[in-house]
Amino acid sequence: MTRRLLERLGQALLVLWAAFTIAFVLLQLMPGDAVLIKFVGGDLGLSPEAVAEIRAFYGADAPAWRRYLDALAGVVTGDFGYSIASGVPVAEEIRTNLPATLWLAGLAFALAVGLALLVAFLATLGPFAWLRGAFQALPGLMVSIPVFWLGVLLIQIFSFKLGWVSVIAPGPWERLVLPVIAISIPIAAPLAQILIRNLDAVSTAPFVHVARAKGASRRWVMLRHVLRNALLPALTIAGVLFGELLAGAVVTETVFGLNGIGRLAEQAVRAQDAAVLQAVVLIAAFGFVAINLIVDLLYPLFDPRLRRGGRAPA
Amino acid sequence: MTDILRSFPSAASARLAPPRFGWSRRPPLGLLLAWAVLLVAAAWAVAPEIFTSQSGVVGIPSEKLQAPSAAHWLGTDELGRDLLARIIHGARYSLSGAFLAVGVGLVFGAAIGLTAGSVGGRVEAILMRIVDVMLAIPSLLLALSLIIILGFGHAQAAIAVGVTSIASFARLVRSEVVTVRRSDYVEAAFGSGGRFLQVIWRHVLPNSLTTVLAYAALQLGWAILQISTLGFLGYGAPPPTPEWGLLIAEGRKYMMAAWWLTAFPGLVVILVVLAANRVGRAAERATR
Amino acid sequence: MTLNLTRRIFAAASLSAALLASTALLAETPKQGGILVYLEQQPHTVLYPPAGGFYPNGGILNQITDKLTYQNPETLEIEPWIAESWEVNEDATQYAFKLRPGVTFSDGSPLDAAAVVANFDAFGLGDQARNFPVSEVVNNYERGEVLDPLTVRFHFKAPSPGFLQGTSVIGSGLVSLATLGRNYAELGDARLIIGSGPFLVKSQTTGSEVVLSVREDYAWGPKLHPHQGRAPLDGIRYVITPEDGVRIGALLSGQADFVRQIQAYDEKQVTDRGYALYAPSTRGVNNSVVFRPDNPLVADIRVRQALLHATDAKEIVETLFSANYPVATSIIAANAQGYVDLSDKLTYDPELADKLLTEAGWIVGASGLREKDGAVLEFTAYESPPQPQNRATLQLVAQQWGRLGVKLNVLAGDSGSRTQDNLDPEKTPVSPAMVGRADPDVIKSQYHPTNRNVLLQLGGVAEKVKSFRDDRLNGLLEAVAAETDPAKRLALTAEVQNYVIDQAYAIPIFEEPQVFGGAPYLKGVGFEAVGRPSFYGAWLDR
Repeated sequence: MTRRLLERLGQALLVLWAAFTIAFVLLQLMPGDAVLIKFVGGDLGLSPEAVAEIRAFYGADAPAWRRYLDALAGVVTGDFGYSIASGVPVAEEIRTNLPATLWLAGLAFALAVGLALLVAFLATLGPFAWLRGAFQALPGLMVSIPVFWLGVLLIQIFSFKLGWVSVIAPGPWERLVLPVIAISIPIAAPLAQILIRNLDAVSTAPFVHVARAKGASRRWVMLRHVLRNALLPALTIAGVLFGELLAGAVVTETVFGLNGIGRLAEQAVRAQDAAVLQAVVLIAAFGFVAINLIVDLLYPLFDPRLRRGGRAPA
Repeated sequence: MTDILRSFPSAASARLAPPRFGWSRRPPLGLLLAWAVLLVAAAWAVAPEIFTSQSGVVGIPSEKLQAPSAAHWLGTDELGRDLLARIIHGARYSLSGAFLAVGVGLVFGAAIGLTAGSVGGRVEAILMRIVDVMLAIPSLLLALSLIIILGFGHAQAAIAVGVTSIASFARLVRSEVVTVRRSDYVEAAFGSGGRFLQVIWRHVLPNSLTTVLAYAALQLGWAILQISTLGFLGYGAPPPTPEWGLLIAEGRKYMMAAWWLTAFPGLVVILVVLAANRVGRAAERATR
Repeated sequence: MTLNLTRRIFAAASLSAALLASTALLAETPKQGGILVYLEQQPHTVLYPPAGGFYPNGGILNQITDKLTYQNPETLEIEPWIAESWEVNEDATQYAFKLRPGVTFSDGSPLDAAAVVANFDAFGLGDQARNFPVSEVVNNYERGEVLDPLTVRFHFKAPSPGFLQGTSVIGSGLVSLATLGRNYAELGDARLIIGSGPFLVKSQTTGSEVVLSVREDYAWGPKLHPHQGRAPLDGIRYVITPEDGVRIGALLSGQADFVRQIQAYDEKQVTDRGYALYAPSTRGVNNSVVFRPDNPLVADIRVRQALLHATDAKEIVETLFSANYPVATSIIAANAQGYVDLSDKLTYDPELADKLLTEAGWIVGASGLREKDGAVLEFTAYESPPQPQNRATLQLVAQQWGRLGVKLNVLAGDSGSRTQDNLDPEKTPVSPAMVGRADPDVIKSQYHPTNRNVLLQLGGVAEKVKSFRDDRLNGLLEAVAAETDPAKRLALTAEVQNYVIDQAYAIPIFEEPQVFGGAPYLKGVGFEAVGRPSFYGAWLDR
């Protein structure tokens, strides 16, 4: 067990290194660089000499291999460098932006699980056949809605027309309401789909009949069963959902003008702000790797069928 | 998004649950409608002139920002271009983009997955680690970076989206190939002296392909959404291309003055993605 | 019918009476307190004062820094501010300023002669070690001299008649020695900008928010400003809101008090609901499309003239803009200094355009595009996101040129490619361009190779330029900058305008205002001469 864990950790580190390296290479391939974009493109009227000086100030004039090694050494020692676009240390950028995105993603995930449960129950145990049919089709619709479009519509309706929530309000909470809803809907869809299949399968399972024979209502039996097992499918696709949440964060933070890693990342790509982009990619890759590692370790605890076999799904 | 829908079922739901309803007797109404939507969209893409007499690119400036009316069913945009005409002409870009994206993912993903699954050993380990890395890099950021490198254009955006889906295709193909390889008749084919590549080509590939193609069908809807997201973020086709994502992206600026510019292209995207997903899921079920 | 009409007239009359009453009231008692929420389209870049030309930078700098002089936005007269009085010698090579006593920066350090000299040394000479560029508004600067703690004198190598006005602009905002001690690259951090203005930077969240708070001890506003003493507002919260639709929606739903860049199509909604629309002119170079004659496609003056006459500026303005965006009649705005009306030379005349192109050898080929010796008359331009509706403008230009068989591709492009390609005349033979500044030097800022160099002449930042250089134009521009006699200066300015249009270097399209929207309860917002807001006298009536 320990050996397997060490092996997994080693693989994880390798993945992190590779992700960092790929980010660096991609940045090298882009036309221009951050100094050019900010100090020449910004129409600041700088002379070519002044731009060269600034490039030297940031160490952006060194050959690529040198910058790569410097950046790598920096990351290993916990120094993420300096953002050229905003002129502040990357660590500070991350510190101010990461908590906002974690809240956004965390709340959206929680809401998505709740929504998925609701949809799944109504789809399988709802009162009328037509209602069940409608809810069975709902996840398919939810997954087809572009998040950015939904965001624009939510703002127009709930903030501007009805005035229920402010999108400019100071403090984080009120501004989070609409973006959390916007992200959670497409995230809830696959969860709901899985739960519906799960419930369908269970409804014909022998233990339901046994429980019912003992006098329990069918709904009660299934409710207990599903609640107990709701975490499992969520866990299985947690890694993929993490990626979706991050992509959702990029889009919603842009639409709603929120602080966060997503918008930071998009702006870093736009400005070719190497240090920021590398840091964000590293954080995202770390999140992905960590989640998969945890899921692998936890999965057997939740799924009795895997306790015997011991092989976690890919 | 369908990426999720599919990646989970391939991993676990096949074990957890049987298909929900078989429709061997007659296709359900929903599926027929879905096909109808896709056929209409395809017809728009192939021959937009049949469906609208108005240009998708050149407008009549004096008829700008008109609300939906008999003359302009879905209204006009800031340059007096007919929105319906733009949507119809845009089908070509959005659909071809989706096919290109899925094609890129399918071809490269299948190549990696097939090699990994059939060669096995160290090659497999290395290839699958590469796939892990591709999955670990946020796909949207990867796509944005690739577009900056490749240049802005509707084909470039599609390729970038395709590249981000290589990893999930590779995983699926590998797992299918491994399953097929372990099956008795492939063992038998090897046993009866079949050459390695020949067996792979004759037996492994065709047998893995059906599942993979069903997945590809599902990916179409996902690709349309991804491409339109890129368009929204300003990384899509250059104007005046009437690509759907770009229509929403441009239209949203006029939300207060002309809601139709955002609402209708969005509804069209939803309808087409919904239809593509519905057809994709039916295809997926049919392969089981 | 009659009754209805009377009622309407009565309603209108009572409305204007109410308006009058409220204006009378506001002149008397500004209410103190409240935080103004300001929605800005783009984050600031560098808050080194000479970089204040960029509107998001200027919108912050104008609140946190003071200037030596104040240019009255209505009369354009230069009035005392930090300088109580000044003297200029005959040939405008020496300027002496007497400073107001008791002024301090927000870090407590004094705003004295030494600080003023340090500021203008940096602005006028640049600073290699700290990467400070030379300010666009300070020409021919030699040195500053401290005569006594409250008196400075500036010396110039050659006449610098624009300097007095130059001391009043945002680009000449005074900052503390601590700020001047930083490197240019660090000055993106608003908290490092220490000024003496009515507000100081309290906090910033990079890329999304800047919060200013009032300086309680502020007592040195412009001498003739209607408001004196501490600013009525407690603070200003700048929220970066790139989405046009969100800015306008937030304003109209009462979530924000003031927003920058209201697009023309939203103007009607703002006024219809009783909100205030502010559209100060930028009095600068008009929003134009400029050519890069280094590119052989547009090296021929006939091609440039043809495209000038193929462009229907009136159609563009009528389709996309509003009354706040007058059709351009020269390369500078009608209320800019030295303006001459060149509308006779800027006619929309497709027949003339067709004739010129045919003369130049460009004939419509099989593809429907004009061709000559195998080359196709096809151009590429990048849209300029900060300019109002630039993408739509360029698309309309492309439509108009398209009617003559000339293709214009409009690219969105990433910032890196845009910046690189915009320096390469081969890749961008045409480009959108605009700058706002209230002085005849604006034209020099725009066209001179050592400044913005929009035509991409040899000798500027653009290294890919092969040979194009117009010494006649540059000579004229330098002469404008150096001429001390106001009458001659205006005559030279007129000559430059004529020359640029005769050479068809630029196609002016419209005079660009800065359009802001404000809540009905927001009073007393001021604007400096080129349309950047000042919140010194602003207050919230609620």
